[in-house]
Amino acid sequence: MSQIISIHSFRGGTGKSNVTANLAAQAAMAGKRVAVVDTDIQSPGIHVLFGLDESSMKQTLNDYLHDKCAVTDAAFLVGRGSTPQPGAAQLADKSLWLVPSSINTSEVSRVVRDGYDFNTLNKGFKTLRKELQLDYLLIDTHPGINEETLLSVGISDEMVIILRPDQQDFQGTAVTLDVARSLDVPTIRLLVNKALTRYDRSQIRSEVEDKFHAPVAGVLPLNEDMVELGSSDIFSLRFPDHPWSQELRRAAKTILNLA
Amino acid sequence: MSGIFDRLQKKMEVETQQDGISPLDMAALPPLLRKVMRYMLREYEMLYSEICQWAKELPEEERPSQADLDQALETLSKQFWLIKRGEGERVRYQANLRRKAGSKLGPGAWNVLDTRIAAIKKEPPQE
Repeated sequence: MSQIISIHSFRGGTGKSNVTANLAAQAAMAGKRVAVVDTDIQSPGIHVLFGLDESSMKQTLNDYLHDKCAVTDAAFLVGRGSTPQPGAAQLADKSLWLVPSSINTSEVSRVVRDGYDFNTLNKGFKTLRKELQLDYLLIDTHPGINEETLLSVGISDEMVIILRPDQQDFQGTAVTLDVARSLDVPTIRLLVNKALTRYDRSQIRSEVEDKFHAPVAGVLPLNEDMVELGSSDIFSLRFPDHPWSQELRRAAKTILNLA
Repeated sequence: MSGIFDRLQKKMEVETQQDGISPLDMAALPPLLRKVMRYMLREYEMLYSEICQWAKELPEEERPSQADLDQALETLSKQFWLIKRGEGERVRYQANLRRKAGSKLGPGAWNVLDTRIAAIKKEPPQE
């Protein structure tokens, strides 16, 4: 049975989409069937990491929500585009799908203006799991607490909350945890990102676990090389020996229960 | 031109949507109703027999009696959080989420935005 994992952060800029894309890539490299749905409809971005742009996204989640196509038609097999980057290209023979949200200005404003039917979105999740025979459905959410987030939390087997070691993130994470617990999410994990390298990671881990009474799946170091890459590729595939990638793989094993 | 029945149908559809559950409403439900709703949201639509089978397979400490399960389904259906269809052995339930509301900005503001976006797309890119 497929696992639904929602990846969330209370604030923007935590690296949520980057972590989501890398977790999905690690699962696919381990031979799992994975789909990522970008429900950050108001500010989509994860498609960039997989090498997609507006011209290469023939159909999107928006088309599905507006009844223009089946949800599986909006699922793009990653790594098989015309010019995949070296990292994403390694996924060419794997089973990783992305359902991107539209980056078209009119489509984004339409969703904000008119709203959409949550039942359609929810039915789409079920269809993807069944038709693509997924092991994992990863949901990349909009930061903060909104209805898309609540829906994804409400149906998830596992929720991963990304946070930076920052007081604003700490307070927001407490709110998010309260919501997740009130919705009976079976497994909740924290993933610290952008931790300063001069600090002891095991100490950060234990402090965060004590503060939130939730397990920490990993403490990812602040990564200037990732900034330099500029979201143009899947970092952990392109630079597998980098400390960030090594820690990400450890976290992926925990979160995805990979061998 | 749409007739009165089309408009009524549309109005009914909108009202049905508005009666659905918001994911946040789930937090306020009693534990068994919340458990059933979580399951139904994941599965979207299920036969009554499939729901009973799921309940039977729950760990003993979480397993509801048949009467409690039936009562939960009845309560959720009355509140339109589940939509009940069919009869007899073919009874099925579907989760009913409230529609995501659109913006409360006046239509004039959106028309201005649409016009501006269309104009920008027609303009040749600047050097």
